[in-house]
Amino acid sequence: MRRSYVHGESATAVATAATIASTTTVTTAPTSTTITATTAATKLTAMDTHDITLTINGTEHDLSVEPRTLLVHALRDELGYTGTNVGCESTLCGACTVNMDGDAVKSCTILAVQADGTELRTVEGLRESGTFHPIQEGFQKEHGLQCGYCTPGMMLAATDLLEENPDPSDEEIREGIEGNLCRCTGYQNIVNAVEYAAEEMRADDTGSTETAAADGGVPMTDYEAVKEED
Amino acid sequence: MSTETGETETNEVETSESSEVALEDVFGSAIERREDPALITGEAEYTDDIQRPNMAHMAVLRSQYGHAKIEDIDTSAAEAMDGVIAVYTATDIEEAGTPGDLPVGWLLPSLKTPSHPILAGDRVRYQGDGVAVVVAEERYLAQDALDAIDVEYDRLDAVVDPKEAVEDDAPAIHEWSEDPTDTETEDDGEAEEVPPNVAFDWEIGDADATDDAFANAAHTVDIDLTNQRLIPNAMEPRATVAEYLPGTEELEVHMTSQNPHLHRQLMAAVLDVPEHKLHVVAPEVGGGFGSKIHHYPDEALTAWCARELERPIKWTATRTETYLTDAHGRDHRTHAELAMDEEGTVTGMRVDTYAGMGAYLSTFAPSIPTYLYGTLLSGQYDIPAIHCQVTGAFTNGAPVDAYRGAGRPEALYVVERLMNLGAKEVGMDPAEFRRHNFIPSDDFPHETPVAVVYDSGDYEPALDKALDMLDYDELRERQEELREEGRYLGIGFSSYIEACGLAPSELAGQLGAQAGLWESGVVRVHPSGKVTAFCGTSGHGQGHETTFAQIVSRELGVPYEDIEIVEGDTDEIPQGMGTYGSRSAAVGGSAIATSSQKVVEKARKIAAHQLEAAEDDLEFEGGEFSVSGAPDRAMTIQEVAQQAYLAHDVPDDLEPGLEETSFFDPENFVFPFGTHAAVVEVDPESGEISFERYAAVDDVGNQINPKIVEGQVHGGIAQGVGQALYEGAEYDSNGSLMTGSMQDYAVPKAEHIPEMDTDSTVTPAPQNPLGVKGVGEAGTIAAPQAVVNAVCDALEPFDVDHIDMPITPEKIWNAAENDDSQEEI
Amino acid sequence: MQFDGTFELDGTTREEVWLALSDPVLVRNALPGCEFLLEVDDESPDFDELRERAAETDDEEISMDPDVIAERSFEEGSHYAALMELGVGSVKPSFETVVTIAERDFPDTVATGEGDASNSSFEMESSMHLAETDDGVGVEWATQADVFGRIAQMGQRVINPVANRVVKRFFQRVQSQLDDFGAEEPETAADASTDPEAGLTGKIRDRMGI
Repeated sequence: MRRSYVHGESATAVATAATIASTTTVTTAPTSTTITATTAATKLTAMDTHDITLTINGTEHDLSVEPRTLLVHALRDELGYTGTNVGCESTLCGACTVNMDGDAVKSCTILAVQADGTELRTVEGLRESGTFHPIQEGFQKEHGLQCGYCTPGMMLAATDLLEENPDPSDEEIREGIEGNLCRCTGYQNIVNAVEYAAEEMRADDTGSTETAAADGGVPMTDYEAVKEED
Repeated sequence: MSTETGETETNEVETSESSEVALEDVFGSAIERREDPALITGEAEYTDDIQRPNMAHMAVLRSQYGHAKIEDIDTSAAEAMDGVIAVYTATDIEEAGTPGDLPVGWLLPSLKTPSHPILAGDRVRYQGDGVAVVVAEERYLAQDALDAIDVEYDRLDAVVDPKEAVEDDAPAIHEWSEDPTDTETEDDGEAEEVPPNVAFDWEIGDADATDDAFANAAHTVDIDLTNQRLIPNAMEPRATVAEYLPGTEELEVHMTSQNPHLHRQLMAAVLDVPEHKLHVVAPEVGGGFGSKIHHYPDEALTAWCARELERPIKWTATRTETYLTDAHGRDHRTHAELAMDEEGTVTGMRVDTYAGMGAYLSTFAPSIPTYLYGTLLSGQYDIPAIHCQVTGAFTNGAPVDAYRGAGRPEALYVVERLMNLGAKEVGMDPAEFRRHNFIPSDDFPHETPVAVVYDSGDYEPALDKALDMLDYDELRERQEELREEGRYLGIGFSSYIEACGLAPSELAGQLGAQAGLWESGVVRVHPSGKVTAFCGTSGHGQGHETTFAQIVSRELGVPYEDIEIVEGDTDEIPQGMGTYGSRSAAVGGSAIATSSQKVVEKARKIAAHQLEAAEDDLEFEGGEFSVSGAPDRAMTIQEVAQQAYLAHDVPDDLEPGLEETSFFDPENFVFPFGTHAAVVEVDPESGEISFERYAAVDDVGNQINPKIVEGQVHGGIAQGVGQALYEGAEYDSNGSLMTGSMQDYAVPKAEHIPEMDTDSTVTPAPQNPLGVKGVGEAGTIAAPQAVVNAVCDALEPFDVDHIDMPITPEKIWNAAENDDSQEEI
Repeated sequence: MQFDGTFELDGTTREEVWLALSDPVLVRNALPGCEFLLEVDDESPDFDELRERAAETDDEEISMDPDVIAERSFEEGSHYAALMELGVGSVKPSFETVVTIAERDFPDTVATGEGDASNSSFEMESSMHLAETDDGVGVEWATQADVFGRIAQMGQRVINPVANRVVKRFFQRVQSQLDDFGAEEPETAADASTDPEAGLTGKIRDRMGI
């Protein structure tokens, strides 16, 4: 009997389920495999700290972090931006999604030192001058949240999607938020919330190109610069 | 799979801002949730968001093996690390004189209750067992130190399948008694001896009558079903922040709880802390689905460390830890049979189930595969004889307890798979077969042969509505046409019933519950007429602050905006049983409705006194008391409140103030029901399933907020679809969890869940003042068998009778491939 | 977990492969992450002592001389201790591994082993069969492994590629050893071309007791 070496025959039901769990690559996060915060940190004790600068929702913060400190822990534990949640420490659930220099990223698998010098937007920066961002309005009006734990990440992923595709179809929205898990809503009202926001934002845009109520502290020009580099 | 979108109207409810809704319409309107602003701005505070000065972090070292003896634990290297404050093992807990053993909250006559220590001492029985805890100055350091703990294990054989676990040669997971005759009897002919891993044997129904029904049956069908292990997957992992105040000897515990009072009661016993010195708070809680009902070791350990070290301590589970330790759901192996007469009338049902309990008995575990399962096996049908036997089995897996639906999804999966097979056997359409066997609408209250009295029900309208939504007859024609083209459409029904708001306490006590099942509600009208209402339920995404304010607004005639709802704090709320089992509206809502009514009665006395009228002559409407026939002699409830606190002129026999408390103990369960229908297309070659339609008709009684009802139905269906097609916890034969992360356990993504078309019928519940039932679990109970029935219907030409969940493309491919009838083509 | 496969080694004979895979020195050099591989008396050696022993011992020369290899060859029933560093995901645990040669009967080998690292461990049984192919030798291998602890929690989809990578690199290095040897062969064993049985193959069979 001849068996191919490369395809070791080790498939089980697990692998099938896993295939589904991973049929979609996580487009929003530059990352590798399953790395928990704890394993990433293993055996890196007593280390130096690095001074970094993070601009969060328009405010500049200087802080010292260990090389292994994850961005999400710097945001939450060091700087008190606790709106960004941790759900899986492995990029799979998307609860920790924030916007970094114009792109949605998963802050649980980015080191704080990698984010040095970047401009970040978190859920705390969505509301401006006492006015809800259209995505926030959409989530409330369409009942797009229940326990709310995935919501900050979901909204940040959604604003990134709408930045790239201002008029997405249902299917495009479902694809666009594939890196973000919600266990409460069954997603349908999240899709509706994103559609609501898309309509509102398009309506805003037709009024004036300067309106862009969407970006909460991150100037439009920065988005464009990043897009071109990509 | 993929979803077809945009073709159908999904009948979604539109929300309104509360200011747009007239006072008399508040109850029943789809008001936007008042919880949302804090949640969409990041302002809401979840447990891990809490910071305390001088706070330390705890991490738990868990067993490397599914089953092993602990030979030795060496913590010295970990203790020597910089930043490590303490390392504790079971020995430390014992030496401190802490009881440290988790109790079981539901007992059965035959139940064997093993000790469940908060840290394992000499033996680990599943991978989630904690062996040691580290407390360190900082989150990462605590994790680092775990690696420095050296544990010497002697690995033992494990067993993970509930049916295999109770075979004679299975490795024994618990030692039962010091009495050697009990467990160590060697082949001395005691044939009656119960295998060591049997947790309980339980039965319900009339075995003889059921045997007779089968003996006389014209048709019978039978099926073997696996209801797979599921991991709840609340998005927020479990977490605790505990703080000890030496001055007052108070222990304050913020934790991810669905029932803070229950956690207080249990933790007080586990840690030997006086209940009045233990303050438990459930801050914002990011979903639970049952997993945050139970009392786990970790929360108690955090509190223990806080008291021991007199420092605030935080513990937050990693996702892998939640997978290893959160109580799992389901895990049944069942053989089920259905007996019918010539006309296709069901005459009997026989069910034999092995239920995996995991390594220990979780808080309410024994009730789930028994009273919450066996009692629902009559479904919506008039079945004269049912017998159900359940064997609970210890296995080397995470404890199994209530997970959204808790016993009822398992029951309805059995019933509704049998109904499909029965219809096929007698050659009837599955919808008509169901209708033929429904309990007639004039037969309520209806007593089933499994010890439950359905107080109300009207099943045909829900089925008819679902059939209309599908355009059923035309759909069946299309199915035929498509089959000619080699395309396989399937239609699956699930006519489900649910018993929720478990009650009354007296009955629960007779069945073994170690707790009452009432709920408390306090309504406090402030002197200004503003209102704060307190309830012992503890929402974590269900929108209680909105719906309960809608209830109080209707009862008191006070504007919705003037009402605040408080839950989840043992210092603020008298007592409570928490949120689970779809009980909050029916039991908790009824408690605050009852308190509101008491407030109105007291206010009526004050108003009558002030208006110099007889109480009976006062009318109360829209928040105003007026004298019948003299509408200008009137007083608003706000004015009454002011008078109640001024107390300058209230009736002599009345105390000042305007606040009432109720403990509402319902007379019975409530019984939501409905019919869900899934329409799928299956590609037998690729094994792909795509949803064409998902229609849900639910009767949850009166709806306080239809948008919230819709959201609950959606979420429930998504979890049910998840079970049907994607999810499943897998252990290898050593008890190692193979699905230990979201990489290997498929929590459905947006593209995996179909568009859901929801509608309802309304049969008010007769047993509570609101006429409400429960909706939290409906979708999860209904959906799995709707999907499985649809897939099996699609594969009917391939002679596929059954595919176990989760129905992966591989399973479909194998089922279709192995079909003999097709090979001849 | 079950892993198996066949690795094709071209331009060689079963005897040469048997010779190569009988040599603890070659195996140690070919195994990715293997810090030492030492024969031990029983199944529970003191790894601290072994680390010192390994540090003091000079590396032995790789050789394809049957005389040399026969001296140090794996033997049925003997135990070997190895320190193996494996990169799994982002962690790189060092496994203290003990292997027992359960069966050695040309062309079949069966070995059992256990490895322990911080919070992770494994138990395995491996078998290997050398089959003649048109181009050389097919090494048919199968391993039944139970993995425990933190590594196990990373899931099969992390572990499988690691296992496959280790095996692949191992055989690639074995192949390159054989290739190096093959390049030298004409000079060192000129007779081999005329009568293989009488040449190297015969010598291997003779010295290795095949």
